Amino acid sequence: MSDKPVDDDAPSDSSLLVIIVDTNPNQRYITDDPKVLTGCLDAVIAFANSHLMQKSRNLLAVIGCHFHRSDYLYPSPGKPLDVRQIDGQYELFTLVEKTIKMRLVNLIKSQPQEEKPGESLLAGALAMGLCFISRMRRQAPTGLRMSSRILIVTGSADTAAQYINYMNVFFTAQKQQVLIDVCSLDKHLSLLQQGCDITGGLYLKVPSLEGLLQYLLWVFLPEASERKELVLPGRGRVDYRAACFCHRELLTIGYVCSVCLSVFCKFSPICTTCHTVFKIGGPLPIKPKKKKMKV
Amino acid sequence: MADDEQDLKEYRWETGYEKTWEAIKEDEDGLVEGLVAEFAQKAARKSAVPRKGPVRLGMMRHLLVAIDCSEAMNCPDIKPIRFLCTLKLLEKFVEEFFDQNPLSQLGIIAMKNKRAERLTELSGNVRKHIKAIQSLSNLALVGEPSLQNTLELAGRILRPLPGHASRELLVLFASLTTCDPGDIIPTIQTLKADGIRCSVIGLAAEVRICKKLCQDTGGEYGVVLDDVHYRSLLLEHTSPPARARALDAGLVKMGFPHTAPPSAQTDPTGNADPPITVCMCHLEEGEGVGGEGHLCPQCRSKYCSLPAQCRTCGLTLASAPHLARSYHHLFPVDPYEELPYEGQAQCCFACIRNFTELDKQVFRCGRCREFYCWECEGVITCTLHVCPGCAARPHLYQRLPEAR
Repeated sequence: MSDKPVDDDAPSDSSLLVIIVDTNPNQRYITDDPKVLTGCLDAVIAFANSHLMQKSRNLLAVIGCHFHRSDYLYPSPGKPLDVRQIDGQYELFTLVEKTIKMRLVNLIKSQPQEEKPGESLLAGALAMGLCFISRMRRQAPTGLRMSSRILIVTGSADTAAQYINYMNVFFTAQKQQVLIDVCSLDKHLSLLQQGCDITGGLYLKVPSLEGLLQYLLWVFLPEASERKELVLPGRGRVDYRAACFCHRELLTIGYVCSVCLSVFCKFSPICTTCHTVFKIGGPLPIKPKKKKMKV
Repeated sequence: MADDEQDLKEYRWETGYEKTWEAIKEDEDGLVEGLVAEFAQKAARKSAVPRKGPVRLGMMRHLLVAIDCSEAMNCPDIKPIRFLCTLKLLEKFVEEFFDQNPLSQLGIIAMKNKRAERLTELSGNVRKHIKAIQSLSNLALVGEPSLQNTLELAGRILRPLPGHASRELLVLFASLTTCDPGDIIPTIQTLKADGIRCSVIGLAAEVRICKKLCQDTGGEYGVVLDDVHYRSLLLEHTSPPARARALDAGLVKMGFPHTAPPSAQTDPTGNADPPITVCMCHLEEGEGVGGEGHLCPQCRSKYCSLPAQCRTCGLTLASAPHLARSYHHLFPVDPYEELPYEGQAQCCFACIRNFTELDKQVFRCGRCREFYCWECEGVITCTLHVCPGCAARPHLYQRLPEAR
């Protein structure tokens, strides 16, 4: 695959932004007050439109991540909606708003009623976003410098069950020079913060939901080449310790199985993941018996 | 062309004429666009390495690369000369190797004028290796190489290493002769007994002794056709080999450096400047005096970049993402089924590109039953290692084998 590397110093000709919106109904900020979701969604749509306003060649995609499935909210996979100009609004903005709202309603309506909502499967949505970015890069006219980034807006907590999927996605994003930004509405997300660190993106936990649009515009709107000129929230200390497989405790010194790379906190003769038996040194050498000198 | 199934296929000169121009046919409008798309899809399918199923792979590797610096490297059949092309590709190889195997170590040997000398010691420091490779570009290429001396040196370096890591040697050999002090067959047998896997990439033609070396030790032999083929042969060696011999599995003690964020009690003055310390990886060069770094949990010496081998106490230092980088070898994505396109789906699930008549095949995941285009299938299999459909379904994202 030809990935066009972007020279960080030169501004790019076109910027591709993929926004992943977590729409899981069991997020705490939604269960506390369901009306807040409309305000947050409006803020995200306004942010998406301001991104499109920066340059005429900017591209946008929005993915909604629900607990049973993830779907593209914009662009619509089939034919785009037919929009007329309303109130003097630029037709593209009207198209974005109507498409997102319509497809989000369809996504929520399609949720299976009998299932309890599980966790948000953001790793799957990230994988879809990365495939979309590589398609756009391939289809871009040659010579067009395209910088890409993904913004995740979520109020869920981190889970270790998606660790492997998350790590694969982060390393792919790092290789393809895609930044992953995270805007957390509720909790501290250590796993996603590691992803921001690996790919060079920004992590922000929003202190208040009413000012969401302001935070999005101030922090996440500038693209990578402009971010060096601004004073943005710092990195903070990212915790890169490994967690042991037996107790899920973070370790500074651990024992790693050389076959399956699982981490343990204490030495054990057998690996619980891959069931290999470890050799604990060879048999001790037998000392030759000294002959007593008979006087 | 060196083929593994030489007994079944004929040599290249024995086959008949290939009339490749007959493969190009125009369609009714006189365009070849459909044909080009078909060729591209076929090439992408061929380049995908067939999965051999769950095989135990050696994650921690100790690889020595031996570069032939003899007169035969002066030949300009690979532009500009074989030697410079080799050095260029080796830089890419070193980066890719440490990207795929972050916990491994690499060493470089130069086969100069009937002797083998160590260019760099076995280490995980990428910059050192790349600098050493770049310093070779002004070398005068004279004399003949000695394969036996190289094998003996490699054996000496690799023999004392612990048994849980794989020991490998890769020789980039351009000459058709070798000038050895004695019989090379016992040397090969010693290497085989020690479990050192030797592979050779030949730049000129197939040489019998190299083939015997690779067959006896369980390595791979390839001869390059041009620089593109050279690059792909070289990059094949970045993926971990199947563990042909039962390596001693061991529990390796590793450190994961972490500094707690400065709290108000430990730093009442509020100055967040850490004390100035010297970094151990830059000790010889004298640079690297600075504040930030990772401290070894056992002996507190500072290293600016991970992974590293602590010089003071011998502990291997790494961070959790380095281990996670190798997990995709252990949990690979199931290969997709290839189906001829008959209108099963309107667009690809991952990139929402509409399927057109140019798409001759579509791919379907056996678990989540979604359809993908051939380009996304390439990205998913080679780079992403996560199926987007499965990762977004609550009953499939954990990839448990019982969920089939």
